[in-house]
Amino acid sequence: MNRVIAPAMFLFCGASAAFASGGNTPRTFWMPEGASTIAPSIDHVFDMINWVCYFFFALVVIIMFWFMWKYRQRGRIVDAQGPTHNMALELTWTIIPIFIVAAMFFVGFKGFLNIVTPPENSYEIDVVAQKWAWEFKYPNGATSEDLYVPAGQPVKLIMSSRDVLHSLYIKDFRVKQDVIPGRYSYLWFQANEPTLNDDFHWLFCTEYCGFGHSNMNRKVYVLPEDDFAEWVVEQGQWLDKILDEDLYFKAGPKLFVRCVQCHSLDGTPGIGPSWGDHAGQGNIWERTVSGETVFDDGTKLSSLIGPGKAYETPEDYLRTSMLNPGKHLVQGYGNAMAVQALNDRAVDALIGMMKRIDEFDANGKWLKESELVDQEQQ
Amino acid sequence: MVDNYLTYTRGIKSWIFTLDHKRIGVMYMVSVLVSFLVGGTFAILLRTELLTPGKTIVGADMYNQFFTLHGAIMVFLVIIPSIPAALGNFVLPIMLGAKDVAFPRLNLFSYWLWIAGAICAVVSLLMGGFDTGWTFYTPYSTTTETGGVIAVVTGVFILGFSSIFTGMNFIVTIHKLRPPGMTWFRMPLFLWSIYATAMIQVLATPVLAITLLLLIIERTLNIGVFNPSMGGDPVLFQHFFWFYSHPAVYIMILPAMGIISDVIAVHSHRHIFGYTFIAFSSIAIAVFSFLVWGHHMFTSGQSPLMNTIFSLITFSVSIPSAIKVFNWLATLYKGSISLNTAMLYGLSFIFLFTIGGLTGLHLGTLNTDIHLHDTYFVVAHFHYVMMGSALIAMIAGLHHWWPKMTGRMYSEFWGRIGCLLVFIGFNVTFFTQFMLGSQGMPRRYYDYLPEYQVYHVISTIGSYVMALGFVLTAVYLLASIMFGRRAPANPWGGRSLEWQCTSPPPHDNFKTTPRVGNCYDFSAVVWDEKQQGYVVDRSLDPTLNEPADKA
Repeated sequence: MNRVIAPAMFLFCGASAAFASGGNTPRTFWMPEGASTIAPSIDHVFDMINWVCYFFFALVVIIMFWFMWKYRQRGRIVDAQGPTHNMALELTWTIIPIFIVAAMFFVGFKGFLNIVTPPENSYEIDVVAQKWAWEFKYPNGATSEDLYVPAGQPVKLIMSSRDVLHSLYIKDFRVKQDVIPGRYSYLWFQANEPTLNDDFHWLFCTEYCGFGHSNMNRKVYVLPEDDFAEWVVEQGQWLDKILDEDLYFKAGPKLFVRCVQCHSLDGTPGIGPSWGDHAGQGNIWERTVSGETVFDDGTKLSSLIGPGKAYETPEDYLRTSMLNPGKHLVQGYGNAMAVQALNDRAVDALIGMMKRIDEFDANGKWLKESELVDQEQQ
Repeated sequence: MVDNYLTYTRGIKSWIFTLDHKRIGVMYMVSVLVSFLVGGTFAILLRTELLTPGKTIVGADMYNQFFTLHGAIMVFLVIIPSIPAALGNFVLPIMLGAKDVAFPRLNLFSYWLWIAGAICAVVSLLMGGFDTGWTFYTPYSTTTETGGVIAVVTGVFILGFSSIFTGMNFIVTIHKLRPPGMTWFRMPLFLWSIYATAMIQVLATPVLAITLLLLIIERTLNIGVFNPSMGGDPVLFQHFFWFYSHPAVYIMILPAMGIISDVIAVHSHRHIFGYTFIAFSSIAIAVFSFLVWGHHMFTSGQSPLMNTIFSLITFSVSIPSAIKVFNWLATLYKGSISLNTAMLYGLSFIFLFTIGGLTGLHLGTLNTDIHLHDTYFVVAHFHYVMMGSALIAMIAGLHHWWPKMTGRMYSEFWGRIGCLLVFIGFNVTFFTQFMLGSQGMPRRYYDYLPEYQVYHVISTIGSYVMALGFVLTAVYLLASIMFGRRAPANPWGGRSLEWQCTSPPPHDNFKTTPRVGNCYDFSAVVWDEKQQGYVVDRSLDPTLNEPADKA
């Protein structure tokens, strides 16, 4: 039945978007592309409600304009004699809507049961949300910033937040669920059509979470099952494959993506202190080594670094700042940074990047790329 | 000149300390309209910012403050007090046939509480503003670094008490101050709706007060109630908040429906159709309104069983709303409809409320709401109900009772033009947002995908047209005070009691206890050429000449 209704709706609505590939439903006047197994049923209910609305809206407005015209005031007729009530009529327009909304509730409820019941063989991905990034963790320990899912298999996202409320919304899949600190929520979907040629679906945050809320969107890639299996293994090992001496420029900029929302590289003030020059104290490595950094209680970092003190070495301070950011807060900045889930190699990569900050441009791009290419050619 | 409530006493003190419900109503009206100007300015700034993705005029943190201020001002300072406190205060005692409300001093106190609440909001701006959204969702609201959160929450707390006192006052007034002959079922429907509203105000607002108090305690004393990092539960806040704020939707819309019932009957010059159904549907809406708060939380993580129950009860609210629309339509049937500005706003209400109500069906249905929740579809829906209905009805009422309040007639020509501009601008602004939302654009977004821009541009143009309509309205209304023709006692042919006292009414409303007839029986109302207004011909309504105790 959907095969008949969907194109008919498409023509009726005059939508201009091109048909998406394969089994996905195309974008219509009302709805975006439908790319999950539950999308068609939701669109179907939406259309059904629309038709009820069109009917009643037309009914009300046509009658209103008709009466406005037919019974417009002529002269000074003061007392128009119309009926004051009609029990049969009033019961009719009470009872008929009851049946209509009861039917509507029921179809919505049936569809909802599908939405909240993940199949047992679902592929599980852990999701951690924080201001203003998503982290997706796959069963083999691999993590990613964008979401990758296998095609043709139900996927269950088990989600939690590190700070405030967020909400994960993939419009093309018609799924949405709030992500709450201190508890786990879940949602599931199944996308049958792989996204080809750099195509993707948008993932939005739909619960207001502050400054970066509207940029807390990421891409969802649906990979053919074999490609996905390959990707997830690859993704799990990417840090291990990099030589130690290459870490800071190969892994550093990739990892820095999660820092850039709050920390600039060129000294521009942000939500967190810049990695470039801050308050004339030099860049992050310079001011850490010199101990010039001042904390919110007025103490200076130099009094905390050294044998037997809070931090043995400058690197220890930087490591703690990533893994336990609330321990010492730089003066003028609140406790806004989330605890970062970074393994030792990732921390090494970022500290390496801090030590050689001059080798990167303001966007975190490594400036010595060409030298490296030259060396390899020689 | 006949002495009236405006000239009865003079001087600034006679206003500040007035116990006259009419003057308090006027002060509320002026305050609400000033707030509307401020909230509307933020709306225009928001729409202008959204003309392009990314930065157009302000940065993201400023944008977040703008939409928060727009929402908080419009909800707490404009729509909630607009009809009950401003129009209700002015009209209710006169409509009822009373000299004043039951507790005039409490009435004045609640006005100054409102001012105190508004001052708190201004103080919060000076302390760094707030960017929590008008919903104050935790833990964002207890952790955000904007400095004005506590001040504004305190302000809303105080405004809540203003609302409670007004509600209490009206309930007692309606119970105790009805003159002989004013039985419950002779009351104009506006009074029924104000009564139902007052019930919600008294019963629901304390929950908001408690919730906000807990929020303040959490933010200042770090006692974890809502913040999970201190052992609290953020979803609990949403339950508390919506337990008030859903009924608050009906605090806004019920009195609007009351105004429309009266405006449509008076300007159609005929008996309202289905008085009893309309009266009881107001009460039904008030009762149901307490049982549907969970429909704001279908994606919040509350249990699927609760979602199901809330969806079911939500649909039941649609029935009394539909009944009212059909009854208003039937009132037009065989009427003698004069398309005055007030009536045009009344008819606009029917048009806009029908759209607002019908799109509620998409949101009450469980599986479609999952897609639409927190998108512009919701924004469009509640603007159709809150602004297209509640606020438009307030403006209908303002035009309907303007001659009574000021004693002056405004220009019908400019009134109709203004109404047309507002109506067209409103639809262009907000109907576009339905498509924007169903296509997946989330609300409260500073930046957006380029594919949404065309909708945003259309919507913004609509908002400018609407703003023009409102500016025009302000101009001709203010001009009418200075240059307008003197208003007759009864310019529209109304039959309820406020049309029987002079315009503007005398200080005591009525010199003698008024005779109460059927306020929807227009057979005794006749046009009087000399007064250029309508009068009630006693010889045509025999019930008026009966002794009061028999009426």
